[in-house]
Amino acid sequence: MNRRIVGAFATVVLGAGLIAGIGTYVSAAKADTTILDATPAGTLETPQGTLKHFTMDLSIYPDSFFKTSSPHPDWVSYGPSTNFRVPAHSAITFTMKQYDSGEPITNDFFARVAGTMNGTINIDGKDVTKVDANTIGHTFTVRGLSNGKSNLFINVPMPMVPEDKMSENEGEYINPTIVKFTIITGDAGEYVWNCEFPCGDGTLARFGGPMSSQGFMSGHFIVTDN
Amino acid sequence: MTTTMDRTASAGHSAKSPLIEKLNVFTAFGLGIILAVVFYVLAAKLIPEDTDAMLIHTKHDQIILLAMIGWFIGFMVGIGALIGPFRWLLGKDLSHDENMFYAGKDLGTKRYFRYTTDHKVVGIQYLVTTMIIFGVGGILAMLIRTNLGNPEGGWIHPQAYNAIVGIHGIIMIVGTIIMITGPFGNFVMPIMIGARDMAFPRLNALSFWLIVAAIPPILSSFFLGGIMTGWTAYEPLASESPAGMDGYIMFICIFAISTMVAGANITATVVRMRARGMTWNRTPIFIYGVVASVALALPAFPVFFLSQIMSAFDRAMGTTFYNPAGGGSGWLYENLFWLMGHPEVYVILLPAIGALMEMAPVFTRRPLFSFNVAVMGIAGICGLSALVWAHHMYMSGWAPLLNGPFMLTTELISIPTGMLFLVLVGTLWRGRLWLTVPMASIYALLWNFMIGGITGIYLSDVPADGALHGTMFVTAHFHYTLMGAGLTGAVASLSYWFPKMTGRMLDRRLSWVSFWMVQIGFNVAFIGMFLVGLAGQPRRVESYNAMFNRGNMVTTAGAYVIMTGMLILLFAVVDSWRNGIKASDNPWFAKTLEWSVPTPVPLENFATLPVVTTDAYGYGKAKS
Repeated sequence: MNRRIVGAFATVVLGAGLIAGIGTYVSAAKADTTILDATPAGTLETPQGTLKHFTMDLSIYPDSFFKTSSPHPDWVSYGPSTNFRVPAHSAITFTMKQYDSGEPITNDFFARVAGTMNGTINIDGKDVTKVDANTIGHTFTVRGLSNGKSNLFINVPMPMVPEDKMSENEGEYINPTIVKFTIITGDAGEYVWNCEFPCGDGTLARFGGPMSSQGFMSGHFIVTDN
Repeated sequence: MTTTMDRTASAGHSAKSPLIEKLNVFTAFGLGIILAVVFYVLAAKLIPEDTDAMLIHTKHDQIILLAMIGWFIGFMVGIGALIGPFRWLLGKDLSHDENMFYAGKDLGTKRYFRYTTDHKVVGIQYLVTTMIIFGVGGILAMLIRTNLGNPEGGWIHPQAYNAIVGIHGIIMIVGTIIMITGPFGNFVMPIMIGARDMAFPRLNALSFWLIVAAIPPILSSFFLGGIMTGWTAYEPLASESPAGMDGYIMFICIFAISTMVAGANITATVVRMRARGMTWNRTPIFIYGVVASVALALPAFPVFFLSQIMSAFDRAMGTTFYNPAGGGSGWLYENLFWLMGHPEVYVILLPAIGALMEMAPVFTRRPLFSFNVAVMGIAGICGLSALVWAHHMYMSGWAPLLNGPFMLTTELISIPTGMLFLVLVGTLWRGRLWLTVPMASIYALLWNFMIGGITGIYLSDVPADGALHGTMFVTAHFHYTLMGAGLTGAVASLSYWFPKMTGRMLDRRLSWVSFWMVQIGFNVAFIGMFLVGLAGQPRRVESYNAMFNRGNMVTTAGAYVIMTGMLILLFAVVDSWRNGIKASDNPWFAKTLEWSVPTPVPLENFATLPVVTTDAYGYGKAKS
């Protein structure tokens, strides 16, 4: 075969390979690649009838010392993972232990509950539909489209822990605020969740650092058919 | 090869410093990295910690910016950019032999890795650098398109996706700004006007190496949190973004200096160094395109430079130029940005159209149709392009009463643009066409720029822009102008001047294959993008509604065809440069001066400076 044709073909193959290699690296280079699966818990009576029930336990820490290889141990973070996988058309009950302090939230729309079963969340045993906008610790917010079938919007505000109830020691987590809520999933799809409380550091209005990096205050919320 | 100089040649001057011979791109990178680390460590140690009372935390940005300044100083010292000014300050300017060494005399391939002042070397350096920039930007484009092949996205993390979009945008803009003025403006332009070199050869080398110094800061932003703002870096969003923005700021500041230096140098060269007899009416139209481009850049880029200095102050010094909480305004940034941003479109386009107007007479064997109309068109675009910037801000809420006037000026600019179309079509009309890739590129430009131009008129219309602003329609529009017209002109220029620059012909068959793949792939990709934009798909999104899936699949497929065509062109360039058919001094039988000198072009171009007695388009009588 003509040398130039072979050379041109080889260049195309090498170029495509280079792009695929870089893409694969970028795709895999997430600070948090682990995925936390929901745990089966029988069935649950819901306004939409009896659905399969699953649970998921999460925590929000004022630092990420709990991660054995965190690139930023002093950054606020969700744990044990920031990527969550839950089944479609099911009831998922979240239990969140919130260990961080807080401040007034920039946009108090995110101090209101949205997208949960009955429109409520349970904070330390008490059902509420909103939280004092001046004492927000963090939020768990999923919004947007996945595959166009399900437009999911969930907003769960979580109150702060008062400073005097927090440990002085780095990496020691005590006295959490415990927030429980249940959501009902729709069709399969992949969403991005994030915290809407500006809890980053280093840049204006605290939207930098963990708020604008992978694997801390943002991650994937995956609804799957399996 | 001679690498030493006559140490006795310049009595009264100091003997040649061996330092000149030791400095090259490797010492530049080495010293740049060392100073970056030193500045980083010192800044981290000496700058006081932020306190909770501070509205803006500044220490991290101060450290990053100082490290990048350290890199910049180290790189420029390491490449040898400061030797000339330093010696001049000491009253011991460079000797003739040292200047010849700087010009790369008898240095072989080493001259391409040094602070070489010969305009032809600088042109080749620009050519290779531009190809590398397009390579990086192209890889990022393919990552974007691959991710958008699926409505749910998800292949790349959304934040990494944002960073990729931002860096793709700004690096491609810079690549397109330099893609013609850099390689061909440097290599060809001085010969075309009958000069031995640029007016300020050391500034010429400086403008190139500044661009090399600017690239590591922008690439470092990948590792500093990325550029989350798109290429526009709107404030106050940019101030809220991670330290990757510091890489953007440093990149723009260094690039703006480079553009200002190059603009002044090119203008001075054309105004002062044209051959005897080369009146303005006999000056080739490509020169007008290049000079108009830098004339637009000269006032525009200092504004861009200052906008980024103010961004750096907001991030690192706690000022509030753009922060409304402290009395600043985001609109201030938008105005400063687009004062550069819209003339910049014509900074890119005018050299491309000028180059194709230069080629049209050669491949039709006819004089350029209505030279004066071409010059008036270029001048009209220059004048109006400085008065249209706020059409990018219709939806921002800034000065709504000015929307009407800006709509008028924007739509008026289609008149001088139409004049350039008229010149090209008039030259083609009843010409004896010599169908080469540059010739076919003229047709491609007319087609692509027609689509890009007409869709631009819709976007300049305030009511239509209300519906289309922020959609993929805008993205498709500016790709049609910058890539469909600008890059087409650059590839045609490469094909046309390749024989003079390398002494070889660009492989004909492969360049034709590449041409058709790129043009077909381009139109498939971006017409698909127009359709999803019209249907309402927003730009700069990582995932989208399934209703846009088909159009996005078409665009992604088209992008892969473009990629294949570009890689074939890359192979054709590399292979032809090494093994191509040897070119004669004037393979196109053209009449401009660059084709009158031997190939390879001698160090000072002309044995005897030419005297020009006619224009360069005497191929026959125009039938207008």
